Amino acid sequence: MAEDFNTESMLDMYLFENTQLLEQLQETVLEQKDADCFDEDSINEIFRTMHTIKGSSGIMMFDNITAVSHKLEDVFFYLRESHPDNVPHVELVEHVLEVEDFISNEMEKIRSGDPADGDASNIIADLDKFLEKIKNGGAAAEGKEAPVNVHEEPKHFYIAPVATSASRFYKIFITFFPETEMANVHAYKTVYALKEIAEDILYSPEDILTDEKSGETIIKEGFRILLQAQCTEEEVRNLIGVGYDIEKVEVYECDADQFLLGFDFGEDQAPAAQQIDLESSVEVIEAASAAKEEASKEGAKEEKKEEPKIVPGDFVIQSKEPGKQKKLAKDKPKGEKASFISVNVSKMDQLMDLIGELVISESVVLQSSDLKVPGLNLDNFNKAAAQLASISTDLQNVIMSMRMVPLTNTFQKMNRIVFDVSRKLGKNIEFVMVGETTEVDKNIIEHISDPLMHLVRNAVDHGIETDEERMAKGKTEKGKVTLSARTEAGKVWICVEDNGTGLDREKILAKARKQGILDDNKPDAAYTDKEVYQFITLPGFSTNEQVTEYSGRGVGMDVVVQNIQAIGGALEIESTPGFGSIMSLKIPLTLAIIDGIVMEVGSSSFVMETGVIKQFIRVKEDMMIHEPNGDEFVMIRGDCFPVIRLGRWYGLDEYQESVEDGVMLILEVEDKKICLLVDKLVGEQEIVVKPIPSYIKKVKGLSGCTQLGDGSIALILDAPGLVE
Amino acid sequence: MDETNRLLGLQDEENESSDGRDTQKGKYMTFKSGNEYFGLGIQYVQQIIQYQAVTKIPETEDYIKGLINLRGRIIPVVDVRLRFKQGPCEYNDKTCILVINVKSTTVGLIVEQIAEVAEIQEENILPPPTIGRADKAHHKYVYGIGKVGTSVKLLLDPEKLLYDDDPADADQPKKSEE
Repeated sequence: MAEDFNTESMLDMYLFENTQLLEQLQETVLEQKDADCFDEDSINEIFRTMHTIKGSSGIMMFDNITAVSHKLEDVFFYLRESHPDNVPHVELVEHVLEVEDFISNEMEKIRSGDPADGDASNIIADLDKFLEKIKNGGAAAEGKEAPVNVHEEPKHFYIAPVATSASRFYKIFITFFPETEMANVHAYKTVYALKEIAEDILYSPEDILTDEKSGETIIKEGFRILLQAQCTEEEVRNLIGVGYDIEKVEVYECDADQFLLGFDFGEDQAPAAQQIDLESSVEVIEAASAAKEEASKEGAKEEKKEEPKIVPGDFVIQSKEPGKQKKLAKDKPKGEKASFISVNVSKMDQLMDLIGELVISESVVLQSSDLKVPGLNLDNFNKAAAQLASISTDLQNVIMSMRMVPLTNTFQKMNRIVFDVSRKLGKNIEFVMVGETTEVDKNIIEHISDPLMHLVRNAVDHGIETDEERMAKGKTEKGKVTLSARTEAGKVWICVEDNGTGLDREKILAKARKQGILDDNKPDAAYTDKEVYQFITLPGFSTNEQVTEYSGRGVGMDVVVQNIQAIGGALEIESTPGFGSIMSLKIPLTLAIIDGIVMEVGSSSFVMETGVIKQFIRVKEDMMIHEPNGDEFVMIRGDCFPVIRLGRWYGLDEYQESVEDGVMLILEVEDKKICLLVDKLVGEQEIVVKPIPSYIKKVKGLSGCTQLGDGSIALILDAPGLVE
Repeated sequence: MDETNRLLGLQDEENESSDGRDTQKGKYMTFKSGNEYFGLGIQYVQQIIQYQAVTKIPETEDYIKGLINLRGRIIPVVDVRLRFKQGPCEYNDKTCILVINVKSTTVGLIVEQIAEVAEIQEENILPPPTIGRADKAHHKYVYGIGKVGTSVKLLLDPEKLLYDDDPADADQPKKSEE
């Protein structure tokens, strides 16, 4: 199998490209899941995607993927060609998703080094059945034989060139020696050379780059080019050249009408041809061929109206505005892929480290003690230094922005989950996304995907009632799950909102009492809604009586909260009984850079995130309350806070013994406040967070470390850890 | 701090690379700790730097001295003397940090004095004696005793050196800091 070859980099590329294709596919499918049928564009897109996957999987010899994608391609080929009327759309969507899942699964196996051994026969059988079904339905409706994919009807299509008086038209026929290897590549070289001078060029067979078999065709039948250019026959001949592979070059000049008739070399069969956008690169040719497929439909319609006398099988668009036709291919760019490159994350991290170092060495240089010699004239130096500082700040901002990615993909995945779960549960649910382009640090996206999935599932499963229940309650509108994201006050808020039943306060309280979480002396009414709703985030807490496939086991919400807390976020729950609930995730924009206050205890530096610090205060000894067991409290303006002395807590060698010599920080985490005593404050700065090396066991209250301006290391304090 | 002293012209070496292994075979970085000389397979050694100030980490084992900044990378450092339970010693200008890479975990070892790169053939390596010789604590880290001329080097198993006391940690795959 594939392992026999050195396919590593090819494999990477294969996995990467197909993953992207599949994501795109899923997006397309889900966008139209509620429509009656796929529109022309999507059918073409799905067809093309499957075709590409089939091709690349074939090369990589993943036979099961090839087989499945081929089958789905067949289905869409039929849809594309025959436009059957009564296609069960939802069933089709499910089939596509099933295939997508299968391929994703196999690719996951390949990625982890296992053989792609999934059994595709069930899916293929299903698809066969489905195809049979729509074919029968379609045949009844249209009474027309469906074409078979394998032998695609050759068709002619090109966009009429803008003929200027100076243009000449040539038909070129190239014969290669029969023993020529890779004749298609040679043919492409010729086309490439001709593109230099061509106003319009058209050649056959069309897919010389992608189809290896085209080489044989070229050798057998010759390679045909239609060329419109402003040069003489001799120039054309020179460009083509007679290499050792080319047996014979025939160039015929003709007029525009003959040119429009296409290849007329006496072959009985008109081969397919391809329009190339002249300025385009190789990649765009693929896009052009994609555009072609769509345009061909339009062309077919237009043809009937205006150009009835064109040779049957040829689709010609006569453009009304000169020059317009060249844009056609460009109007249909293939996604936005061309403007992106994918970069290994480790390289990004390396770059970020280097920039961090650069910033530090910069401050080492600029604050060098050599500069502090009195009497130096540093005007020019200072100007240059300011320039340098602004560049390095920009550099830092750019690398940070490179790490930011939109939430779109994550949200799309949720779309899929809503679709799957609601179908299985028989609920009719609308899914709305708001603000999915909000950008978040890549590391954070990885951490929120699972919690979000859980919240969305919960919303669909527990939150929204069945259609009957909704009817009974007199709720007229459709069940709706809204996933929204927004940036606010340096945090990202991601909300999962449903218009279902909402949380049942009484049920939660009863369950909590049963589990002994509640204080027996406290009446139910004394718990605020917020407190009550927080109970559902406790481990083993589920009010759903029945365990379903999706939820109800009581593991989940606690995991959600843990995951969110791990990245410094929080979960807020709001609910209106009978009208639905809102689960809001409040997460930091980035994990990599935080605003922090640098402070010192003895000789050690610490950093605390600015957001959690409510106040700095100096306290007097008489404000302290000492308990016999060693716990300390401080009274500040009538409020009593527990005190942690950072130096004593961590058993540091030296620290200020007296509270009057130190500074108190009042920290607030989720309504809990504590005071932290440190020796002195150094200042506020942006901190590049680095993880504590994994060799060192996790220390409570520390979340990472960072380099300070002088190259020394400061430990980053984790406020929630300290509060516990 | 950035003028890292690259003694002996050592390059950053991938201990995984197979072609490097042949030239590195049988070579040991030896250093002095207490009264004995220890050897560490040279393929583990990334570089040697002069001792620099270490940022202490609270609540860790006493032999983990803290963190250093190795040109932008933050790595933990372990005091070999404390690891061998030999009792602390003053750090001076002979004190070095031996940066080693074991299973993609980078750790600095504080050693009293770097000796030399010794070539020890396999036939000159004996299993550690079960009685006598050095004190007991050595044995779990020492997998062999190499003879170089008349002197003797205790050859260290770097994995045991780093992880032996905390098997729970050793089971988990270590993430590299990079």
